[in-house]
Amino acid sequence: MGNSKKIDLLQGTLDLLILQTLRWGPQHGYGIAQAIRSGSDEVLQVETGSLYPALHRMEKQGWIRSEWGTSEYNQRAKFYQLSAAGRKQLSSEQDRWTRMSAAIEGLLNAGKSEA
Amino acid sequence: MSIPDIFRRRKREQDLDDELRSHLAMAIRDRVERGEPPREAEYAARKELGNFVLIGEATREAWGWQWLEDALRDARHAWRTMGRSPGVTLAAVSSLALGIGANTAIFSLLYTVMLRSLPVARPEELVELLQKYPGEPRGNGYWSQRSLEHYREHNHVFSALTGTAIDNAVRLEVEGEEAQTAVGEYVVEDYFPVLGLRPGLGRLLGPGDQPDSAVAVISWALWNSRFRRDAGVVGKTLTAAGRRMTIVGVAPKAYTGLRVNTQTDLWMPVRPKAGLALLARLKPGVTIEQARAEMALLFRFTIEERAEGSKDSQIRHLRVELEPAAAGFSGVRDRAGSVLVLLMWTVAVLLALACINVAGLLLARGAARTREMALRMGLGASRWRLLRQMLTESLVLSLMGTTAGAAVAYGGTALLLRIMDSGREHEQLHLEVRPDGTLLLFCAGVALCSALLCGLAPAAATLRAAPASPLRQSGRATGTLRRWFGHGLVSAQVALSIVLLSAGVLFLSHVWSLKTAHLGFRRDHVLLAAVDSSRSGLSGERLAALYRGMLERLETTPGVRSAALGGPTPLQGAGASGLAVVEGFAERAEDRRWTQIAYVSPRYFATLDIPLLAGRDFAFGDVGMNPRPAIVSRAFARHYFGNRDAVGKRVMLENVTLTRTPATYEIIGVVGDANYYEIREPQSRIVYLPAFRSTGVVAGAFLVRTAAAPQDLMGEVRRMVKESSYALEVRRMITLSDQIDASIVLERMMGTLAGFFAALGALLAGIGVFGLLAYGVSRRMGEIGIRMALGATRGVIVRMVMRESLAVVAAGIALGVPLVIWGRRIAGSLLKDMSVNAGELLAWGVAAIVAVAAVAAYAPARRAASVDPMQSLRHE
Repeated sequence: MGNSKKIDLLQGTLDLLILQTLRWGPQHGYGIAQAIRSGSDEVLQVETGSLYPALHRMEKQGWIRSEWGTSEYNQRAKFYQLSAAGRKQLSSEQDRWTRMSAAIEGLLNAGKSEA
Repeated sequence: MSIPDIFRRRKREQDLDDELRSHLAMAIRDRVERGEPPREAEYAARKELGNFVLIGEATREAWGWQWLEDALRDARHAWRTMGRSPGVTLAAVSSLALGIGANTAIFSLLYTVMLRSLPVARPEELVELLQKYPGEPRGNGYWSQRSLEHYREHNHVFSALTGTAIDNAVRLEVEGEEAQTAVGEYVVEDYFPVLGLRPGLGRLLGPGDQPDSAVAVISWALWNSRFRRDAGVVGKTLTAAGRRMTIVGVAPKAYTGLRVNTQTDLWMPVRPKAGLALLARLKPGVTIEQARAEMALLFRFTIEERAEGSKDSQIRHLRVELEPAAAGFSGVRDRAGSVLVLLMWTVAVLLALACINVAGLLLARGAARTREMALRMGLGASRWRLLRQMLTESLVLSLMGTTAGAAVAYGGTALLLRIMDSGREHEQLHLEVRPDGTLLLFCAGVALCSALLCGLAPAAATLRAAPASPLRQSGRATGTLRRWFGHGLVSAQVALSIVLLSAGVLFLSHVWSLKTAHLGFRRDHVLLAAVDSSRSGLSGERLAALYRGMLERLETTPGVRSAALGGPTPLQGAGASGLAVVEGFAERAEDRRWTQIAYVSPRYFATLDIPLLAGRDFAFGDVGMNPRPAIVSRAFARHYFGNRDAVGKRVMLENVTLTRTPATYEIIGVVGDANYYEIREPQSRIVYLPAFRSTGVVAGAFLVRTAAAPQDLMGEVRRMVKESSYALEVRRMITLSDQIDASIVLERMMGTLAGFFAALGALLAGIGVFGLLAYGVSRRMGEIGIRMALGATRGVIVRMVMRESLAVVAAGIALGVPLVIWGRRIAGSLLKDMSVNAGELLAWGVAAIVAVAAVAAYAPARRAASVDPMQSLRHE
């Protein structure tokens, strides 16, 4: 490790990333963590200590469902998949993110032009 | 948490564990596949995954169960901790149990007597109408039916006005059952509609029921007991007070009449001309003051009405009173209310003391656990987590206290009810205490407050002391703050127990003075047997002859010193009275006072040991005397004749209870004063009239002075009565001293309880002082060892320990003094005639607490004095 480019996730974005990852199909916790890491070119780092509480919380909220299955390594693992509510949640989180990043970008650009 | 929930949770925990393990396995496998050596791969993967336990905890929190899990774990932990010091736990739980139990028991009585609303429509509108002579403590509620009608027509403040005549001794006969004495109400036709009651069965009495018609409504309780819930009870008959009546309905279950202290068994239509207790309903928006003002004007009608047929000069001084009647008629509130309020104060102090005691015990335990707390904080436990755990401990403690307290309350209430119901017949407090929501809330509130009170202070003190410092020092380290706090607690205990001790002294001495007061007669070795001749068919001279024969037989019975007939008997409570007119003695109308009258046989004064001061006793030969003879008390003779001889003078008695015409008597003797009617009031003027007269006999109680214990003769007297005539019934048999005790039931109850609480308070304070000193000594073992090694004598060491307790006790006394003075003032405002003043109380309380503290300090002081210097230093 020791990769200085790694960024801890912003609060509230973990949900979005998990939902986004699960869009492509059921995945277990380790798979989700790996997908986020590799999908962000190793920039985004998901702590296991945040991942599992988030998964269990989202399951309780009804956004995702879980069931035990067999992993690609032929190992028992718990797979999560999106529910209908989760799909809805995903699109609203995406909207929110788009608006927020646009706003932040706008702020940063304004700062640049003044400098 | 239900059982299935627990299983489900187990499974979930297992699931989570599996999930994390599979995560780890996959991570290791990935690394190995990328070419890392297996051991390093595992190490790196584990490091990446982080703390298994922490992840588990964080995830479980997401389930939303964490608080419950923690609470349960805290409770289990608390349970184990308490199990480790059973003595402390037992002391804490039992003091809490007594505190909470006593409070709940007294409050449930207080609530029933003073606060519980009648189960009727809009009880807050109800008011009771009373008439009162100035200076009289309480009014009476006897109104004529004409007054009722007058007020109904002329008032503008009441939406309704109704009345009832309550008879406590209705002879009730139901077919196939033994006759019983029942409480009956003769009610005005709109009584039930005004109260807004609905029948439990059949119908209630209403405007259709003419006065005096032969119908009755029975109570739910009577329907249950006598009629065994017979659904066809309506239409059956019963005989009440000798009249056959048809049952038309059953009253609702909750309604037991307008008085708290008796439960009405049946309601019947009002009898013509009977006196009534009046109950009114205020119009919406009308205050009780407005109603008082209007009634003060309308009341003239009653005065005129009463003055018309009466020579009672006092009548024009009568005033009308309105009392709120939401909780029923006020008689019992007047009588028992102040006693219950005083007891409530006392037990509140007791509860405060119990809480402080528990706080002290928890504090001491907290001191022993300072290192544990510091260690746990060092390992990363949050303050909040530790605070929560300590609060859980005190919550568990108070929960146990409450549970035990509920048992105490249950037993205590039953006991108090039995005591209160043992009074004189006309004063009995037969209460129905029902557990209800308010009571449970009260109990739970007390428990919760005690938990917070007991838990917060020690917890805060422990946590404040907890930062790393205790770890560095050795086990004896404690903050000065905590020491002061501990001292403060014990001082507070001392102060509160002084209050309880002086309350105990106050009430016990009050009872003692009532029990030992010279009443003017001797109360020991006298047996009373009240005989009922009403169904013997005997009356007049035949009954008189029978009674004379019985007296003769009694006098010759072995073990009997003398026997007499009388009525009313001393301190029976009820009786006759009249107004005396003495020739040549001018008295202003408003100065005239009622003279009490008792009907007695010859040898009555000898039997009661009332001294004959002048003249002679009655004799059986007096029957034909004209004018009839009378014997007066010394107070009577003094009032009317001053220093002159009363014997031979004449007195006219008018307005005598149950008689119409005045009669003149010749005074033949003067006897000593006696508290004949009321033990709490000064000895009043009494006229004794002959029980045997030409027309028959007017008393029905035999008094027997015995040589041995009066109880031993009960069987003998009963047999004698039965043998004399089978038609006579012994209605009541009691010793005179028991009858006197029955007249001071409430005082005795208060005295006994206050004494018990005082002893308890002293014990708790003693435990507090002991605990503090024992702790102090164990903390200072090393110091004491050094002192002794340097040559201090045992005496010096003992004095050193005693000095510490002395300071604490002195502070407690200083705190207690104003409390006692303040408490004495409250007691004085609620109960009159208390003989002991605040100064004496303080002297007693302080003396007692110093004695208790000395005893409590003895063991620790001895332990300190027997310290072996070598050993204690090695121990360091």
